[in-house]
Amino acid sequence: MKYNRINVLGLGNILFGDEGFGVEAIRAFEKDGDYPETVQFVDGGTQGLYLLDYIESSDAVMVFDALIPLDFESRVYVYHREELPAFIHRKMSSHQMGLSELLGIAQLHGRMPERFVLIGIPPRSLDLGSGLSGEARELLDEAVAQGRAILQGWLRE
Amino acid sequence: MAKKIVVDPIPRIEGHLRIEAKVNDSNVIEEAYSSGTMWRGIEVILRGRDPRDAWAFAERICGVCTTVHALASVRCVEDALGIEVPTNARIIRNLMNATQQTQDHLVHFYHLHALDWVDVVSALRADPKMTSDIAQSISSWPKSSVGYFRDLQQRLIGFVESGQLGIFSNGYWGHPAYKLPPEVNLIGVAHYLEALDFQKEIVKIHTIFGGKNPHPNYLVGGMACAIDPDSDTAINIERLAMVKKIIDQTQQFIDQVYIPDLIAIAGFYKDWLYGGGLGNYLSYGDFPETSLDDFKTLLWPRGAILGKDLTTVHDVDPRDAAHVTEEVSHSWYTYSKGDDKGLHPWEGETKPAYSGPKPPFEHLDTDKKYSWLKTPRWKNHPMEVGPLARVLVAYAKGDPMIKDTVGMVLSKLEVGPEALFSTLGRTAARGIECKQTAGFMRHFYEQLVDNIKKGDYRTFNSDRWDPSTWPAECKGFGYSEAPRGSLGHWIHIKEQKIKEYQIVVPSTWNASPRDAKGNSGAYESALKGTPMANPEQPLEIIRTVHSFDPCLACASHVFDMNGREVTSVRIV
Repeated sequence: MKYNRINVLGLGNILFGDEGFGVEAIRAFEKDGDYPETVQFVDGGTQGLYLLDYIESSDAVMVFDALIPLDFESRVYVYHREELPAFIHRKMSSHQMGLSELLGIAQLHGRMPERFVLIGIPPRSLDLGSGLSGEARELLDEAVAQGRAILQGWLRE
Repeated sequence: MAKKIVVDPIPRIEGHLRIEAKVNDSNVIEEAYSSGTMWRGIEVILRGRDPRDAWAFAERICGVCTTVHALASVRCVEDALGIEVPTNARIIRNLMNATQQTQDHLVHFYHLHALDWVDVVSALRADPKMTSDIAQSISSWPKSSVGYFRDLQQRLIGFVESGQLGIFSNGYWGHPAYKLPPEVNLIGVAHYLEALDFQKEIVKIHTIFGGKNPHPNYLVGGMACAIDPDSDTAINIERLAMVKKIIDQTQQFIDQVYIPDLIAIAGFYKDWLYGGGLGNYLSYGDFPETSLDDFKTLLWPRGAILGKDLTTVHDVDPRDAAHVTEEVSHSWYTYSKGDDKGLHPWEGETKPAYSGPKPPFEHLDTDKKYSWLKTPRWKNHPMEVGPLARVLVAYAKGDPMIKDTVGMVLSKLEVGPEALFSTLGRTAARGIECKQTAGFMRHFYEQLVDNIKKGDYRTFNSDRWDPSTWPAECKGFGYSEAPRGSLGHWIHIKEQKIKEYQIVVPSTWNASPRDAKGNSGAYESALKGTPMANPEQPLEIIRTVHSFDPCLACASHVFDMNGREVTSVRIV
């Protein structure tokens, strides 16, 4: 096995509808399979900077999150390392720290994991306390299936 | 003609904090309005739930402040049910809270706020030899060689020239309000990167005591971790040694990096003493040495200061309906007995009623309702909460440690205590406090080890775990001093379920809109009178708002594939 530490991270806030997609996805992913000890599932919530170590200390990282793609179709989007923007915007609050900032910092530190993939869906409902929308729920299995296929590939490398 | 500047950091979901400032012909801010543009109705989510589960929801309302909400939540439930937590649980909570404060302050200073004073682009012009000389003259921190700064500068130049990253984009580099020489800017950037690395170490303490990270476990009645010096899986000697090592490193970093940087940077901005604002300060206090009700033992004292008068510290009682109230005359809610009637949180109501313009809009009608934040007041006074408030209350009460650190910082800067009533004073207070909380980490670590040595391994009091032991109806108050200021959770339990839950968070105090009498909130007041070099680049506004460490972009996180700018600034 090539990768000693693989982190599967779920991002988002479970209190706000489809915002919680990433967290729900890794819960389903973890429950539904037997993985070697090198694979760690992390409920990252909306922790921002706290999550830097989970990215920088890994050889391969898979992130599940709600995302806003350019075309905003209702489907599962998969982006690999080189397709992702990395930037450090000035912010009003340290709470605004997003995945792109984490990637920017990891690159500046020279500690980007060898493999990085983002899997997500565009959110339909961000209503408080409502859980995932029907649409997001339907896409969840497919997102997890795509993630599992990628993970299996990583484990075979 | 007055111009209006709008600073509105808008992520995709509705935006969060919006500042509207009116500047006069000389570009001095005459009026400012602060608006929270997103509704967070945690109170509604919690209604009807098991009070023992409230902390797990509360810790999700804010992405980063998870532990502080969990702490205030378990404390309010324990208060309602009359539960005393075991000594170990009190100490571990204090240790985790001190860890949170220390880490949060460090991250805020370096990652969010330093770049309001440090010009990254100017650092590219620094002379590495001079940088090294300056670094070595202000601190014994080992990473200060000419080669270290030269390498870093080359890496930085490479990144900026590659242009692909857009790294540090959206900054006002070269703005006339930046005053540091290139060499001090380079030191600032170096420590920005070092602090990012170092903060990862500090929070490992949360994993050790909270079981998991990034959302550590809390428990009504104590803490969920087991203590057993001889066990492999519990808090044992080995894990305690790791905690000690992290504390040693933390204190070293603060003493040798954070505090010297603060003094070096502030020294160049001594004539920029704007942003003081209200002059009213509130602290609930925290870090109990015994019970939470025994206010005299709080390491951070409780009290209020009015009108910058440090000779009098007023008593504060957040349970008293005459002390803490929230009104909604300028907030998008309705109250059954009148929007201008302040309600104590135990009587609080959360009925949203948006009456603002339909987004996207140019302006808010600030004569009417203009914020999703309610308007909390202490004895009808608008108050500032946070590091400056806590440091001033402790200073006015004669706390010896705070007096020492404040005295050291002021004397090195050659300024008097009045300099504290400013944006820079707020920033300095955060550093002073960070040194203090790192000391608390050591204090509680030693307390924990002593208590374990006595043979006390107890972390959980199960006496009132079973709901059948609860009264039919009860109310509780839980408080904490979060990094951003005084946090209160008020709960009303009826028939073993949450009947009502109200949270007043620090940023609601600081970012509150005007009250019925027209008194400004802390942000609004602090911005008044600030001259701006260039209203199209409102660095001065951002500097002052950042100094409060706003918590208003909490709990939303959607990845933007477009890399779009989030802070839209325009002059209307």
